[in-house]
Amino acid sequence: MARDGSHGAEREPFDTTAVIETPEHVRFHYQLAGPARRIVAYVIDLLFRGAIVFGIAIVASIGSITGSEGLAGAGMGAMLLVIFAVEWGYYVLLETLTSGRSIGKRALRLRVVKRGGLPLGFGDSVLRNLLRAADFLPSFYAIGLLVMGNDRWFRRLGDMVAGTLVISEERVLMQQALQIKPQPTPTELQRLPERPPLSPGDVEAIELFLRRAGELSPARENELAEMIAPIYARRLGVRYRDAARFLALLYHRATERA
Amino acid sequence: MQTRDEFVARCSPRWHELENLLADGRNLHALPAASISRVATLYRSVCADLMRARALGCGSDVTGHLDAIAGRAHNVLYGPEPYRLRAAWQLVARDFPRALRNNWLAFVISTLLFGLPLALGLAGSLHSRDFAYSVLPQAALEQAAESYSEGFAGGRSEGQDSMMAGFYVYNNVGIAFRCFATGILFGIGSVFFLIYNGLVIGTVLGHVIASGSGSNILTFVCGHGPFELTAIVISGAGGLKMGWALIETRGRTRLGSLRAEARELTALIVGAALMLIIAALIEGFWSPSALPALAKWVFSAVASGFVLLYILLGGRDFRGRGNA
Repeated sequence: MARDGSHGAEREPFDTTAVIETPEHVRFHYQLAGPARRIVAYVIDLLFRGAIVFGIAIVASIGSITGSEGLAGAGMGAMLLVIFAVEWGYYVLLETLTSGRSIGKRALRLRVVKRGGLPLGFGDSVLRNLLRAADFLPSFYAIGLLVMGNDRWFRRLGDMVAGTLVISEERVLMQQALQIKPQPTPTELQRLPERPPLSPGDVEAIELFLRRAGELSPARENELAEMIAPIYARRLGVRYRDAARFLALLYHRATERA
Repeated sequence: MQTRDEFVARCSPRWHELENLLADGRNLHALPAASISRVATLYRSVCADLMRARALGCGSDVTGHLDAIAGRAHNVLYGPEPYRLRAAWQLVARDFPRALRNNWLAFVISTLLFGLPLALGLAGSLHSRDFAYSVLPQAALEQAAESYSEGFAGGRSEGQDSMMAGFYVYNNVGIAFRCFATGILFGIGSVFFLIYNGLVIGTVLGHVIASGSGSNILTFVCGHGPFELTAIVISGAGGLKMGWALIETRGRTRLGSLRAEARELTALIVGAALMLIIAALIEGFWSPSALPALAKWVFSAVASGFVLLYILLGGRDFRGRGNA
């Protein structure tokens, strides 16, 4: 199970992920869902709930058209019951039945899970959804959004009380290995040590930069590269002429033998 | 030692196999037995691959890809506890009354926060009309007085019954849930809603009595009152408990303190919701019926006794040593 909060000495990366430790003592990262996607999911659910109430309203109004007072009253009563059920029960029912995915969440590939990554139960869902009444205050989920924006795991009040997270199950596509163009020449590589002292985090950061470099203007590419290249140049005790090229060579050196 | 490409090439067949087994919208238990155990095996090896990928520094796309597969497999393999009728019964028969007794102080405070304004509203509006008008708009009060002026000797049509039952569920359960939920704001919301609703209910009651329909409204209210008012107070108590957990943390973080209360909070609010549904059914179909007043008062006494005994004795272990 994930221990609540920090993982002691090991610092979590500054990122929108939650680390979950499984019973197999494997840690993996969940992508957290931010406010924007959750608002879209909420609107989809809202439209769907509106459609249910609207459908019942039509059926109920048929009762009043017949002119029978009994039918009209029964129709109204049923409609109020449905509005109640939709207002308070919609999320609890769907989240319990589909282990954390209402219709809107499903559309956006979101899922509610417990803090430890396990599927949520009925009680958790009741708590997190009743607390919507507090998150909604003073209106339009103002408190909920405020709390969410200040929380490391994007939790609203309901999530905090129930101990749940909303995660995104986006699929990450694997990309082709990065090719350095033009091919590094032996003379270029000679100037760099065979195993540059780079941490996996360094290599990852450089890789992300190199993958984006094609989309940037040359001036911006150089500007970004200049921010980080001097650090590595100093660490390795070498000089470079072109910062972006230097990072590419560094990356090549670091990954040619893992 | 191997490069990223060799690693991906060697391991990706099993990643694809797992992804295919987990294809969208398929339930694990719908798969053949061999596939289920295959999923478990593949999940473990993907977890191992993930650790290796991280150690090799394979890049964020590979680890991200594996994180996503492992996450989905984890979600499928570690399913939720199945729902059993027994758990629901235990909540009603044991967890709810026990949680309530454990939090008797919150319950007492909640009762006072609700009951005192109710008594004030009642006394005030019995004393003078102007008091009632200063609490609620005149039109709403006159409408309430009007609706109780006839009494229920003639009963109500079934259609009207269903409509009012629907309205009671919608309105009253909503009130109770709000009393609970807003307690997260350090208890302030619960305090506000308890006082506000107590005052409004007391004022309406007092005004209707002052208008001369006292026996009508009291006979109407006596049946569902024991369930409904108790449930609103219990919801408020849950909210207060939630707010207090944020203030008195007993050495935990505020959130940790809140989380420690979650189990009892759930029992309290689900129990209160069940009581409110019972109340709404009584309020919709029994209270407005044409039955003689005596029957309704006897029913009220029985219901009050039942609620009292349930709260006091429910979930106690009489077979064991002493109380639970």
